Amino acid sequence: MSKVRTCVAALAMLAALAACGSTEPEAGGQAASGGPRVLKLWHYESADGAMGKAWAEAIKQFEASHPGVKVQFEEKAFEQIRQSAGMILNSDEAPDVMEYNKGNATAGLLSKQGLLTDLTPEVTRRGWDKLLSPSLQTTAKYDDRGIMGSGKWFGVPNYAEYVMVYYNKDLFEKHKVEVPTTFDEFTAAMDEFVKDGVTPLAVGGAEYPAQQIFYQLALSKAQRPWVDGFQLYKGKVDFHGPEFTYAAETTADWVEKGYIAKDSAGVKAEDMGVSFMGGKYPIVITGSWWYGRFASEIKDFEWGSFLWPGNTMHAGSSGNIWVVPENAKNKDLAYDFIDITMKKEIQNLLGNSGGIPVAADPAAITDPKNKELIENFTKLSTGDGLAFYPDWPAPGYYDVLVAGVQNLINGSKTPSAVLDEIAGPYEENLADIGN
Amino acid sequence: MIRKYSVLVSLAVLAVVMLVPFVIVTLNAVRSPQDYSANGPLSLPDGLYFDGIVEFWNRVDFGGKLWNSLVISGSVAVLAVILSVLNAYALGIGRVRGRVWILVVFLVANTLPQEALVYPLYYLSKQAGLYDSRLGVIIIFTVIQSAFGTYLLASVLGRFPHEILEAAAIDGAGKWRALWRIVVPISRPTLSVLLIFFFIWTWNEFFLPLVFLISNENQTVPVALGVLQGDKMMDATMSSASALLGILPAVVFFLIFQRTLTRGVTVGAIK
Repeated sequence: MSKVRTCVAALAMLAALAACGSTEPEAGGQAASGGPRVLKLWHYESADGAMGKAWAEAIKQFEASHPGVKVQFEEKAFEQIRQSAGMILNSDEAPDVMEYNKGNATAGLLSKQGLLTDLTPEVTRRGWDKLLSPSLQTTAKYDDRGIMGSGKWFGVPNYAEYVMVYYNKDLFEKHKVEVPTTFDEFTAAMDEFVKDGVTPLAVGGAEYPAQQIFYQLALSKAQRPWVDGFQLYKGKVDFHGPEFTYAAETTADWVEKGYIAKDSAGVKAEDMGVSFMGGKYPIVITGSWWYGRFASEIKDFEWGSFLWPGNTMHAGSSGNIWVVPENAKNKDLAYDFIDITMKKEIQNLLGNSGGIPVAADPAAITDPKNKELIENFTKLSTGDGLAFYPDWPAPGYYDVLVAGVQNLINGSKTPSAVLDEIAGPYEENLADIGN
Repeated sequence: MIRKYSVLVSLAVLAVVMLVPFVIVTLNAVRSPQDYSANGPLSLPDGLYFDGIVEFWNRVDFGGKLWNSLVISGSVAVLAVILSVLNAYALGIGRVRGRVWILVVFLVANTLPQEALVYPLYYLSKQAGLYDSRLGVIIIFTVIQSAFGTYLLASVLGRFPHEILEAAAIDGAGKWRALWRIVVPISRPTLSVLLIFFFIWTWNEFFLPLVFLISNENQTVPVALGVLQGDKMMDATMSSASALLGILPAVVFFLIFQRTLTRGVTVGAIK
């Protein structure tokens, strides 16, 4: 008898809890509309990263310049935004301003579905377009089909990223290898390491790093029109043309020569980075998103970075973008906030924290390493040298490229067969979007 | 003799294999990021480093997430068992017409991937004003779990000794009374196992809570763990710290209810 009673009591308690769970968010919503105004802000950068630090300062400045407005910031899981951004933005729970991934499959898709606010009037009125170089603007503008590069502004990038060569200065000294400035010197340097029995390149073949090397090689033979053709569908791309043929053959050749370990096809990006940080490889070719972690976690050796020698075009792009959902309730506040993040002060803080600002004052960057990182980027961006990433042009293309480059590293397919393999899905996508 | 030892040895090997992931997680949870980068994940840490755990706890307000998970999993476990019992009573003992087909429908519902349910559930919950609320997730999982519970219990109750029910009926017990006074007490071991399974399964759910619990204040533990997986980066040591925090409650819960669980499982075996 008593058991039944405790059961009922437990039930009643849980039901009460469940009920209170449902009323809580409503109460919060009412406070928002009745009391002081609230700017609902979401991003998914870690608090101690460059963007996290800069944006925390931007929130402070925003609250100082907007008395009576509270910023309600939530750090989101990247996975959650990736999975359910469309659903969230289509509901009343949409934030006022949010960080979102740039690209056709993400921001482009949402803009096509009408879930994002057209920012064009604000961009011209506040002069954000003057702060951003053309290749940075590419990922902020989307046309009616949701394809980037032209049309209306749906996002504003705050930072940038690019692929570079990181090297272990201690290992270079130990094996008496000079830091290369041309492509020939680069391969000669790798030959030196191979001679000493050291595999020069840390490569993660199971994820994005290997395809970025492949793309860098293709870019060494390419100019802007080829990139526009490949990425923005302006003109035809021949997968058996000189660019991709060179990339495929050279990748296979580098494995042959021992620059890339044969077993690196199964290595994940994380393991690649950790092996470089552990001093096991002298060189790693990857993006600036590793920069902050290298800076804080490499203690046992000196390291530096340089741009891939000889290329005018490099893999890279704007970082993620601020978007304002169509269902946002405080769009005016959202614009003000974006404006603050574009200010010199916040941009400089971003640069000094190890990020790559889009509109900083180079003289205000004090750390010599960060200065080098940003100067390299300025070189690249003023030369209009951002070539985006190889997996962007078609949905699901990332996996196609991973498999293709793995075949090159394993030697299980000839370069020509790999080019056919990666051409197929690209052409199919072209047909789908009606080009 | 040899057989006895071979069993012992194979059990020991199995135990080690099961424990290795926990050991690796624990090792990396108390390792500093610098140590991880320099020495990799498998070496012994240089020293104990609890900042990762503390920082993660504060960063995601882990106490709040634990409470949410507890409320959601607890409510779902209790409600789903009640719903399953009511359904199974009708299907297993009441012998409703077309019960085989009803069970088949439940079984099919069980095999549906959650990805297929997301959009319908999203529109329904938005219409009902339950999007981004714990109550919405509780209702969804109560239904999902009781689909399995109904299927299982209906077949268990299908073999319920009818003599007992007839005796109760002769003594003047109605259907309702027979359910609560006869059927539920006798099948209590099975029900407690179901309750525990529902609790743990709901606790571990990731995808639907990820989609339906938008505000950080409503999120559950597994969703909070997702915060650490970035676009291109992951923080291995803090992920380990969070994984440790994430599995501890489930382990504690299991240890508390261990005896009920084994009792429930063996009851069927004796019969």
